[in-house]
Amino acid sequence: MTRLAGAVGRWTLDLLQAGLRVSSLMVDTLAAVAATPFRGRSARGRAAVESFAEFGSRSLPIVGMISLLVGVIIALQSSYTLERWGAQRFIATLVAVSALREMAPLMTAILITGRSGSAITAEIGTMQVNEEIDALEVMGIDPIRYLVVPRFVAMVLAVPAVTVVSMFIMVAGGLFTSVWVVGVPGGVYLDQTVQSLVARDLVIGLTKSVFFGVAICWVGVYRGFQVRGGAGEVGRATTSSVVTSIFLVILIDLVFTVFFYFV
Amino acid sequence: MERDDPILEVEDLVVRYGHRTVLDGVSFTVRRGEVLVILGGSGSGKTTLLRTLVGLIRPHSGRIVLMGEDVTTLSGARRRELRTRMGMCFQGSALLGSLTVADNVALPLREHTDLEESTIGIMTGIKLNLVGLAGFGDYLPSQLSGGMKKRAGIARATVMDPEIIFYDEPSAGLDPIVAAGIDRLIRKMQQAFGLTSVVVTHEMESVRLIADRVCMLHGGRVVGVGTLDELERLEHPWVRRFLSRQPDDEPGTDPDFLRSLTGAG
Repeated sequence: MTRLAGAVGRWTLDLLQAGLRVSSLMVDTLAAVAATPFRGRSARGRAAVESFAEFGSRSLPIVGMISLLVGVIIALQSSYTLERWGAQRFIATLVAVSALREMAPLMTAILITGRSGSAITAEIGTMQVNEEIDALEVMGIDPIRYLVVPRFVAMVLAVPAVTVVSMFIMVAGGLFTSVWVVGVPGGVYLDQTVQSLVARDLVIGLTKSVFFGVAICWVGVYRGFQVRGGAGEVGRATTSSVVTSIFLVILIDLVFTVFFYFV
Repeated sequence: MERDDPILEVEDLVVRYGHRTVLDGVSFTVRRGEVLVILGGSGSGKTTLLRTLVGLIRPHSGRIVLMGEDVTTLSGARRRELRTRMGMCFQGSALLGSLTVADNVALPLREHTDLEESTIGIMTGIKLNLVGLAGFGDYLPSQLSGGMKKRAGIARATVMDPEIIFYDEPSAGLDPIVAAGIDRLIRKMQQAFGLTSVVVTHEMESVRLIADRVCMLHGGRVVGVGTLDELERLEHPWVRRFLSRQPDDEPGTDPDFLRSLTGAG
């Protein structure tokens, strides 16, 4: 019993300590972003653009593919219920609302976590193992400024940008399904889509995705810096980075959903 | 430049990992322009000492005065400023794997100066030539051999023309010919630029080649400082064993150890 209490206490302390370290990492990063990180240093601007291409553009094929499939799935699942009432034209509403408010931001965030959150941890973790982070410190180069800021800026822009693309493709997936499988005319579907969407849906979707981007980047970076020891640690940190990120993304999603439900 | 004035003073340095004391009251001085070798066996705390000197580890107590500034109490900006005046070569060379050799060497210049890109290119070329890597600028670190990585690390550490340079096990893991080449390079850097060098090593061969003075570390304490000749005259049993490459006492002959095996007593 005492052992259990001790374990719970230790676990809580560890959690608090991790929270504290993540917060100080957040403060450092934001301070560095605020302090004009690109001050005459084109190299860092280039790094941010390069990261944006990696997190954003290069994730488009897989995000597009998955979004199309998810659009088809939502359309078919809605059709299953709606056809009983002869209300198949409302497939468009269900696809549009769930794509914009929920599925596009969530799917994009999860895919980018798997592709890039993991890569950030592995990269920084490997640099930690090879003493490259120490080398930066000793050269008087702040690792937060040099490594984290470009990735942070890129990630916070890339996740919403990719989310917008994902939204369009999901709606397209729903459109193809209702035209070719269910038999709702394309014009009716598009009318219904436009009617059922309000700007608020887009705002909710994009706000979430910005926060998803923040979470993915910070978890990735934090786990990377935590690596001590050898290559095995890098693997473990990468796994843990992905699991933690996905959990946080869904938690943030829940918080926003509850918030917008009441507001 | 006054050669005897101290560039680095270490006073009563204590470093602990948790409850384990790794360095226990270490004091010594490095004079401007000399090559001081920190010599010690495995686990003597010599790498910890070096990492503490450059500010990667916070000491438990004690003072490190480097170029007139107390490293242990410096704030962020001042510490970064001080670090542009020193260099460090890591054991694994610690080149950034995502940058070419030339970009690695140019990194401190790009981060700390407003020099034109063309000037940076020339300065990088000069340093690469100096360490014998002319023509390898476009290679990635992963394409270099161990000795070449060390040389690139030295080029990067000296590109800002520092006043002092720290080497962590510069010849570890290299074959004798390559290691001797690195030793010669360390000497060359010191002679050509009056560059003060602090070298951590356990290789007696290197010590004979490069050391002006030696600081011997054993069990986290300094057991002797001086020229190699002076140290060879010391009566300290461990120093004698180390310098003459004698093994420790056989662990199997320790009666306590035998008793612990049989469970008697």
